Amino acid sequence: MKKVLIFLLPLGFFVLVALFLFQGLFSDPRARDSSLVNKPLPDFNLPDLMQPQVEYTPEVFKGQVSLLNVWGVWCITCAIELPYLTELSDNGVRIVGLYYDQDTDPDFGTKTVGTIQQEVNAKLGQLGNPYAFNIFDTYRDYSLDLGVTGAPETFLIDKKGVIRMHHIGDVNPRVWKNKIGPVYQRLMSE
Amino acid sequence: MLAELGNFALVIALMMSMLLAIYPMWGAYKNHAQMMALAKPLAIGLFVFTLFAYIVLTRAFIENDFSLAYVAHHSNSLLPWYYRVTAVWGGHEGSFLLWVLIFSLWTVAVALFSRAIPIQMVARVLAVLGLVAMGFYLFILLASNPFDRLLPFYPVDGRDLNPLLQDFGMIIHPPMLYMGYVGFSVAFAFAIAALISGKLDSTWARWSRPWTIAAWCFLTVGIALGSWWAYYELGWGGWWFWDPSENAAFMPWLVGTALMHSLAVTEKRKVFKSWTVLLAISAFSMSLLGTFLIRSGILVSVHAFATDPTRGLFILGILAVTVGGSLLLYALRAPQLKSTGRYELFSREVLLIGNNVLLTAATIVVFLGTLLPLVHKELGLGSISIGAPFFNQMFVFLIVPFVFLMGLGPLSRWKRQSPTALVRQLLIAFGISLSAAVLVIFSYDQAAYMAALGMTLSFWILLTTLQEVMQRIEGNKGELSVVAKLRALTPSHWGMVLGHVGFAVTLIGITLVSNYEQESDVRMSTGDSINIGGYDFVFNGVEELKGPNYGGHVGLVDVFEDGDFVSALAAEKRFYPVQRTTMTEAGIDSGLTRDLFVALGERLDNGDWALRIYVKPFVNWIWAGAFIMGIGGIFSIADRRYRMAKVAKFKSLTSNGKTIEPATEAN
Repeated sequence: MKKVLIFLLPLGFFVLVALFLFQGLFSDPRARDSSLVNKPLPDFNLPDLMQPQVEYTPEVFKGQVSLLNVWGVWCITCAIELPYLTELSDNGVRIVGLYYDQDTDPDFGTKTVGTIQQEVNAKLGQLGNPYAFNIFDTYRDYSLDLGVTGAPETFLIDKKGVIRMHHIGDVNPRVWKNKIGPVYQRLMSE
Repeated sequence: MLAELGNFALVIALMMSMLLAIYPMWGAYKNHAQMMALAKPLAIGLFVFTLFAYIVLTRAFIENDFSLAYVAHHSNSLLPWYYRVTAVWGGHEGSFLLWVLIFSLWTVAVALFSRAIPIQMVARVLAVLGLVAMGFYLFILLASNPFDRLLPFYPVDGRDLNPLLQDFGMIIHPPMLYMGYVGFSVAFAFAIAALISGKLDSTWARWSRPWTIAAWCFLTVGIALGSWWAYYELGWGGWWFWDPSENAAFMPWLVGTALMHSLAVTEKRKVFKSWTVLLAISAFSMSLLGTFLIRSGILVSVHAFATDPTRGLFILGILAVTVGGSLLLYALRAPQLKSTGRYELFSREVLLIGNNVLLTAATIVVFLGTLLPLVHKELGLGSISIGAPFFNQMFVFLIVPFVFLMGLGPLSRWKRQSPTALVRQLLIAFGISLSAAVLVIFSYDQAAYMAALGMTLSFWILLTTLQEVMQRIEGNKGELSVVAKLRALTPSHWGMVLGHVGFAVTLIGITLVSNYEQESDVRMSTGDSINIGGYDFVFNGVEELKGPNYGGHVGLVDVFEDGDFVSALAAEKRFYPVQRTTMTEAGIDSGLTRDLFVALGERLDNGDWALRIYVKPFVNWIWAGAFIMGIGGIFSIADRRYRMAKVAKFKSLTSNGKTIEPATEAN
């Protein structure tokens, strides 16, 4: 009997996978709210990706409505949303990048800031650069503070530096039209 | 009118697959000769009618019949004729038609080339294939019909083929890849037929070996072509991105590689029978899963097909029935399997199974990495992207023991190997590979531990393979010259040698290009020059470009090494007006030891241009290695042992029923 159970394992594993695939077909991948909504941005003091001597604090978000976009060159979905974000920024939307790279991890990292800058430039040169500037999340801890589970994620931040919306997944024309855009327009007129 | 005939041909093919699924299986059960004999003509019919439908669709593309929705979405009257032919598989519906065409091709091949296999077995195998085909023909007719019309209001011109796909690599990549993907269905059908019949001796392993190797060859070459295409067409200079659709092709390859080796053990030593059956089921399941992942749009990928939950649901249904059913059958039958051969802890059997375990672990890593974003999402933890760093790190861990066993396996004996007998050989191999790696690394400017590791592993494979061939020659006691002794080795033995050498060559390419590639983004005006990796790149300005269905610019770059002219590169930036997309066509000078790669970026404000320049050492070795592996596979199939009619005759001649092992055995 014990032996039969072992041979049932592959079937059990497959059924489990199939259930997830089934659910995945019908789920709305982008719904889910962050606990940070309507709270001010957590405090930070982080360098600029391209000019590490420049440091930013939450002050940079005061006075303007901005999108804070968490991304990395290693993330495929981010590459897909870049052209559309560029289009948005061409239309006057202020987009700030929060860049994080797994490869700068002090334990496992293989990359230097220089190589990352190169990669970022290559990617943005090819797909468009929507960013007013990129904040470099050196140790990935600020992404954790923001409750980021992956990339890409986008935060809508109002003129007082308060997070008003947290969007998980890519920003595309549909998401902009139905979800982010209306709130953005309202915040602009506030 | 013709399109309707194509549609009708598909309906007939569906009915043939239904008959094929029922009658031969019933006949095999009842031992009814006529019903079993139906299998062959039905398989031929399946193929002929699918081929007819395929030709009809191709004709619609060539004649620009934009009343067909599929043609209107994927072609254009300005498209050159050869891209119109390949545009047939440029979208979901047409590529699925190619999928079923190739499926029916494998089916008919099994029907025609299995004369030596007992008719009951062939009938069952073909019936299993018919059953699987039935699901796919239903899918194509109900959920993705390429013959849907746009009547009465059809467009005057089509929307053009995705420019990414207008390329030579794309002409041959999908058919090769599908040949591999779908080819594993044959090994699957043999395993299922053996499970159904309950006759799970090792004969089914011998029958399905050449089919598995053939499918594996196509898949290897198909993946290599895809990677090559990504390298020169996407303009990022990368050759592997761990993109979900790449992973979808890589998983069957990993399982297929394990299956190929496991079949060898089962055939020769009659052990690991249930494991081999499970691998045969898994290889095809991975192909089906890959099809599902790419076509359901469940994962965001740079080259996924359009998203549509009904299609995804349909394929998931097929997946559930095929994979679920076969795993259930496996759970019921596998406990009766008894391995008869005996072996000790240190023997070729155990080393091979060790590599099987590592290949399976690699598959699980890719599987988890591909599906984790989905599972994460479903558990309410938000969407994530798992990047290349995860896969790269895991594969570095896995490849060290894998390569170690890969060198050790062929050197060891079946049943039992004394470890001490091998120690001297292994120490020599290790010493030489380490020194060779260090020498290679020192020829570069900076040392990198990863490069040293990769090169040591590659040389380890090459040296142990060489030792193995020498061991065989010394083992041949006849008074022959070395050349004659080399000739006495069987083709399948050479297949193994080439397969392992090819892997080493690929590994060398991966190691050197990952560690010593030089890359630079530069801003250049006409006449500027820059030195990268010992080469001087001189920018000679930009000219206008005019193609059949695109316009754009071409940047001209001359390359010099120590003042000597090396090559003139033309980096194109094309604009395709119909699809409003810009494409980079990199200028590449390929060589044995390095590629020079220039991609044209944006024009800057003052008329300067941004250029991306790479010097990539040994990058061609990555694909060359894959082709060597493919050639190795062809050698293995060419082995006389697989010309089954002869084997069968030989078997019937030996009265005691024992097969005599060839003098030089190999796997």
